[in-house]
Amino acid sequence: MNVSSLNTAKSKAPLLEINNLCVDYVSPHGIARAVNNVSLTIAPGETLGIAGESGCGKSTLAFAITRLHKAPALISNGEIIYNGRDILKMTDKELRAFRWNDVSIVFQSAMNSLNPVITIGEQLTDVIAAHKQISPKEAVAKAKELLEVVGLHGDRLKSFPHQLSGGMRQRVVIAIALALEPKLIIMDEPTTALDVVVEREILNELYDLKEQFGFSILFISHDLSLMGEIADRIGVMYAGNLIEIGDAKTVFTNPSHPYTKGLIASFPSIHGPKERLYGIPGDPVNLLKLPTGCNFQARCVDCMEICTKDDPILAELSVGYQAACHKL
Amino acid sequence: MSFLLRRLGFYFTAFLIAISFNFMLPRMMPGDPIDALFAAAQGKMDIAQMDAVREMYGFMDGSIFEQYIAYIQSVFTLDLGPSVLMFPIDVTTVVGMSLPWTMFLALGSLIVSLILGVTIGTYASYRREGFFGQFVPPLLAFISNFPYIVTALLLFYFFGLQLEILPLAYTYDPSIDPGFTWEFISSVAKHAVLPMGSMILVGIATWVFNMRNAMINVLGEDYVTMAEAKGLSSFRVMYRYAGRNAILPVATAIAMAIGFSFAGSIMTEVVFNYQGLGNILLKGIMARDYPLIQAILLILVSAVLTANFIADLLYVWLDPRISK
Repeated sequence: MNVSSLNTAKSKAPLLEINNLCVDYVSPHGIARAVNNVSLTIAPGETLGIAGESGCGKSTLAFAITRLHKAPALISNGEIIYNGRDILKMTDKELRAFRWNDVSIVFQSAMNSLNPVITIGEQLTDVIAAHKQISPKEAVAKAKELLEVVGLHGDRLKSFPHQLSGGMRQRVVIAIALALEPKLIIMDEPTTALDVVVEREILNELYDLKEQFGFSILFISHDLSLMGEIADRIGVMYAGNLIEIGDAKTVFTNPSHPYTKGLIASFPSIHGPKERLYGIPGDPVNLLKLPTGCNFQARCVDCMEICTKDDPILAELSVGYQAACHKL
Repeated sequence: MSFLLRRLGFYFTAFLIAISFNFMLPRMMPGDPIDALFAAAQGKMDIAQMDAVREMYGFMDGSIFEQYIAYIQSVFTLDLGPSVLMFPIDVTTVVGMSLPWTMFLALGSLIVSLILGVTIGTYASYRREGFFGQFVPPLLAFISNFPYIVTALLLFYFFGLQLEILPLAYTYDPSIDPGFTWEFISSVAKHAVLPMGSMILVGIATWVFNMRNAMINVLGEDYVTMAEAKGLSSFRVMYRYAGRNAILPVATAIAMAIGFSFAGSIMTEVVFNYQGLGNILLKGIMARDYPLIQAILLILVSAVLTANFIADLLYVWLDPRISK
């Protein structure tokens, strides 16, 4: 599993490097490994998409990056290096200073990620005040500026979340994410709760903001078609494993792993002829009862004998392109 | 604003209905204080004397409607006539003497148990896996599920009778002149420990559980995780982001608790012979002192309504989504 070779495409040093990360959920019935030995990198200014069905570990992975996972989840192995510093070794104080300043997060639903009884203004300024030595007045000015950056009027600072529409709230959340100009923004299904028109607006705006601020994005979604558009590279996760990662176009148009193929086949094509949609047969595996060998064997159309014995490992198919399947 | 006006209208209506009931209740009961007096005199009193006494106490004749108008007038002018029990002292004066003590007892114990309960509940939700969260809330539930009278008498017995460290009766040592002196204040505090303490002991578990459950719900919300992701201090996440929301259902419960607290203080005052409204009420009922009983019920109703209105104001201030 040679991670560094992935960066040859972008010769810059990675902004974030995750090595052999394992996150376990401890339950009375045993230990469920939600993230298993995942390694990946994100280069400065790059957008990496992580796709997979519900429960595949993509959100757990995202939360682990700023150590937001709560008990009973725990990181049992691996390292997360951001700009040369191991996040897992930070003290609480260092971690607090690191959070949002370097990595901010746009949560799944803006309805729920804004506190309903605190004004937009306070939710924007408190994060600025917590990390920067500036006067309250300057913080308010900065907050106004941020709202205008995402296309809202500065007067909205006095509003409460319930006075804004869903799209406006998501813009506020993005404004908060930009507040400290972090180098990486994690987006956990940022537009899932929005209708397609607003989703489009927000994504276009994100593009512009990315041009303007130059941050990297870790984009988590189950929507592969959306990801094909926005991401530079795509990683696909299944049952806690990263099973395929490579440039967005190849993953989207010519995937290698049978699971990715199934995932893409389960999206309707808008322009092509009407075809029967193919889903992936079977159900996701129970993380407490993983089979010997490949986790995907029970649902795989190309299952071979070796798949029931050995775990496939992520192998490099071409430069910067990896997949984990015995067939390849 | 219109929300508050609507609430104010509601409370005014409730007040009018309450005083109407207050007016009707004694008139629906057979007999009046003078009849009781007449019975006690065992025939040594004639009808003319009885009428004279009636007039002296200000019991009026006239149709029920005239009496009602007169009563409403007397309520709004606070001229409630003389007390039968403590004649010729005005009912207003009698009530005025004991009301502050009941307010002190009822609201004091409510506020203290609220503050303690919310703090303990918040902490218990934060440490719900640990010793504190596992042990303290069940213990408090155990204590508060004793009938109040048992708890009160046990405290009375141990601290008052056995250990003799706390006084058994009165609101303050009668040998001390009331005034803004250290001696007087410490005497008041000492006399309040048992009555107030017993009410707190019984009341606190409600707040602990209300707050703990509300907190546990709120701690799973995305905005709390986001506040944490923002790198805010855990104090700020706990109290400003989580606690601020968890307190909302608790604030709703305050309105109801105020009424219970006043009702509860009546029992407390009787057990600890505390010179508040409850004590006077009991004496008034035994002497069939209707003007006094009516006045006390009136005061209790107004106190509960006022407190509820304040709780409403508090709620609007706490939850900006309400005011529309």
